[in-house]
This record gives sequence, C-alpha cells and structure tokens, in this order.
Amino acid sequence: MNEILSVNNVSKRYGNVNALNSISLQINKGEIYGILGPNGSGKTTTLGIILGVLNPDRGSYSWNGNTPTKYDRKKIGSLLETPNFYPYLSARQNLSIACKVKEVSEGDVDRVLSKLDLLNRADSKFKTFSLGMKQRLAIASALLGNPETLVLDEPTNGLDPQGIAEIRNVILDLANEGKTIIMASHILDEVEKICSHVAILKLGNLLTYGPIESVLNNQEQVVVASENLVLLERTLSQIDGVSRIQKNGDKLSLILASGKDSTYLNKALFEKGIVASEISIRKTDLESNFLELIK
Amino acid sequence: MLNLLKIEYEKIITYSTFWVIFGLFFFFTPLVFYGLGQIKLDSFPIDFTTIYHFPDIWNNITYVASWFNLLIGMLLVILVCNEFSFKTFRQHVIDGQSKSDFILSKILLSSSFSFLTTFYLFLIVGFLGFVSGNDGSFLTDIKYLLIYFVQSLGYMSLGLIIAVTIRSSALAIIIFTFSIFFESILSYFVPDAIAPFLPLEIISNLTPVPTPKGIQVPVLAEAIPLNTSLMIAVIYILAFWGISFLILNYKDVK
Repeated sequence: MNEILSVNNVSKRYGNVNALNSISLQINKGEIYGILGPNGSGKTTTLGIILGVLNPDRGSYSWNGNTPTKYDRKKIGSLLETPNFYPYLSARQNLSIACKVKEVSEGDVDRVLSKLDLLNRADSKFKTFSLGMKQRLAIASALLGNPETLVLDEPTNGLDPQGIAEIRNVILDLANEGKTIIMASHILDEVEKICSHVAILKLGNLLTYGPIESVLNNQEQVVVASENLVLLERTLSQIDGVSRIQKNGDKLSLILASGKDSTYLNKALFEKGIVASEISIRKTDLESNFLELIK
Repeated sequence: MLNLLKIEYEKIITYSTFWVIFGLFFFFTPLVFYGLGQIKLDSFPIDFTTIYHFPDIWNNITYVASWFNLLIGMLLVILVCNEFSFKTFRQHVIDGQSKSDFILSKILLSSSFSFLTTFYLFLIVGFLGFVSGNDGSFLTDIKYLLIYFVQSLGYMSLGLIIAVTIRSSALAIIIFTFSIFFESILSYFVPDAIAPFLPLEIISNLTPVPTPKGIQVPVLAEAIPLNTSLMIAVIYILAFWGISFLILNYKDVK
C-alpha cells in the first residue's frame, strides 16, 4: 500500500475559534506535500494532530493505514513550530536524548550534525545558538534514524537567505532519496520550489489540494484591451466561459474556462460589435493564483 | 523502563540546580543532625548526644531530614515545570513518547531520588550511630527508613501534581511551598474527624517529632498509628500519580 497518511474529517476548536473544519487529506509514499496557507489557517494545528500533541474534536487519522501509536511517531522525523531543546545541554547531548526517545542508534548524531553543518558547534550549549542554528539543530534532530517520513513545520523559519537555500537543498536531497515529506509553509515560493503536491488551507477550511501544477497553475489569464473599457467589461460579462474579470490599468484581465481559447473570445466579442485592440494570453504566476484562491 | 530513567538522568546530570539542591541536602542534613547532638543546656537536664543512639537515631535522623525533603520535592517541581517551559515534553511526544511514559519517567526519577536520600541517611546513621557507641540493636526501628522513603515520595508526588497542573516554575514552587500552610488553614474548615487524614498532614506526620529521653510527654490518644499513616500515605501517592496522568492526558500538549 502506498498510502502514508490519511486524515479523515478532522475538526478542532479552540474555544469559539474553529481552527480546523472537517479536513480530509491523503498523502502517498514519495510525495512532497506542502500545506500552504496564511498565518492562522490551521497548518500547525493539522500537523499537531497528526503528531499526537493535539486531540482532534472529531475525525481520525492513520499512519500507514493503522490506528496511530507512539511507535509510528518514533519512525517519523518531525519539527513542529519551534526547536525544543534543553538550553543548558549541548547540541550533542540534546540529540543523544532525542535518539533515546526515538530508540534509534546514537551513532547517527554526528551524521545529522554534519549534514546540517553543526559539527563544529556540537559541544556548545543550545542556549548559545543563534536562531538559525537552533532551527538547523531541530531539522538535524528530525533526521535522526534516517526516517522514511518527515513532517516539517515552516522548516526555513528564522534562517538567513543562505540558510534557506541550504535547507531547501537538504529537503530536495531527501525527496530524491524517495522519502515522503509533509511540509507546512506560508511561503508560496518555498512550496513551489520543493513540493510535488499541495493543500491550501484558509481559516481552518481545506480550499483545494492535489498535484502542484493542477492546483496553482491550471488557468491561463487573458488580457483584453479596447477603446471603451466600460462597454468591453459589460460585454465580456455576457460571454459564456468568461470569469474573474478584473481591471488592470487600461486593460482587462479575465480567466477563460478550459476548452475556450483566444480565438473563441475574439469571435464572441466581434459578434457583439466590439473590436479588441489587444488579446494576449499570459500564464498566471503562482502568487496571483494563490492569492485568488485564498481570497 | 530503564531507558526512561537513563533519559531522565541524561537530562539532569549537567543541570546545576540538580547539583545545588542535592548538595544542600547532602551537606546540611548531617550538619544539622550533628549540631543538634552538640547542644548543651544548663537548665535542661538532657544529654543531647543520646540522639545518636540506637534505636532512637532512626526516628531522629528521619525527622531532621524530613525538613530537607521539601527541597527535593521542590527540585522535582522545577524539573517537571522545565519540561513544559522548554517545550521538551511536547518534543518527546512528537518524537514518540506517550503521556504515560512521561508520568512514568517522573515516577522513576522520584523513586530514584527517594532511594538516594534514604541510602544517604543510612550511611549517616551507620557512621554516627557506631561512632557514638552502639548500645542498642542496629536493626530495631530501621523501619523509619522505609517510612522516610515513602514520605519523600509523598512530597514529590504532590510536587508532580502541582507541576503538571500549574506548569510555570515560579508559581508551582510557591504553591508547593505554601501547600502545607494552605492545608492547615483548610483543616480548620473540615470536621475534626477528617482533618488528621488530609494528605500533607498524613505525609508530614510520617516522621513524628522525636520524644527526647527523660521528658514526660503526654501521649496523644487520637494520634493515628504509624502503620495506618503509612498505608494512607501510599494511597495518596498512588492517587497523586494517577490524577497527574489524567490531567496530562486530558489537556492538549502545549
């Protein structure tokens, strides 16, 4: 079976706030699954539930098709929100404790420290680390035991541009090794560069999910210009298959339903007595699609 | 289980607060006990050096050490609260510990602390008791060591329940320290038949104030027999551990 994680109608409330509203997701082996959404959309709550720190009010989830136990979590490398370590212990001592908790060999400590470029600070106390180093140590800890599945919550949080690039490479390496990675982020660019699949959350609702191309890049934007913009807009709104008309300077942009192309649009306009001075097709960038989705 | 205890000691072996508090215990318990034996009062015809004599020494040392038991209880409060303030409890859950593993770890840690302090008292008694001349049986009243062990666990089980409920070190330590005071206020409001059975009353009375030789002390008729106190204390300890688990289990891991 290829299914790694299955989330079924999970809901969670904090007092009056509906943090998650009947979320269902399925994540298969080898997928790099991005959970994307603005702050407060329920990303961390979702990850907190599948990692056993939050109890869902309703719904269930399963790892590898089974009811989750602590033994599943030992085999998942996780980073949730902040790096959590003992400030008075060194990086090495902290990882040694993590190894014992996960019941993996402590021989792995040096490997993950060197992978995250922390070997030269291995014996420094955690409290002396910078924010970026703390974050790298947390990712190092997630890699202990070389787990097949990783759950990373905002993995590049607090890192400088170079650190961000390094972490992305680490994640891409893991992806190339065939590992399954579930990653929450509010940075679209990051998800676009790393993920194969994406789910978009907003205010606790799952808006859409699927392979990244189909979710974020399935539509082409058409830009139309004509002498009388008001008339053009009114006419466009009457044409079948046209949606999301927006004013864009002295031009109008719109989305055409699939199967319709610029020739169809031109013909339809001409039949209504309007001559377009420009009809051009622009591939929409991910950002505008994303912003459109979470509107 | 051994793995859990190993993890606990790996966490504290370089933690200065652990060494300071155990250092205070190891230093002051024998010092205070030795000092008491050196008191000389002209108006009071008691030979204080008899506190070193068997079998009374068992009661005497455990009474003195019981005051320092509160320190060890406080240490446990700090250690448990640390797990919440460092969010390492949360990390342990994420990494594959269960909530019951967490409580079990703290029970094992408490028991090992109790064992250490009790064994230390045994060494002090062995040294002072024999140096001062053994005129009684070594083993008579050695049961006070077991009672002391239970008392020490009792304070730490109270510390555990306060720590998992409050979670913030400063507030938890204050509540722990003043809990004896709170309980004695509470005892005015409960019927007299119940007051002696309140948890801290039971736990602190495990090491009764020793009766010096040569003084007539009226025996309190209503005092609970030591064996009964011991049994009730064990029930309280089990209850505190159980409730701590339920509290932890009910709440989300923050």
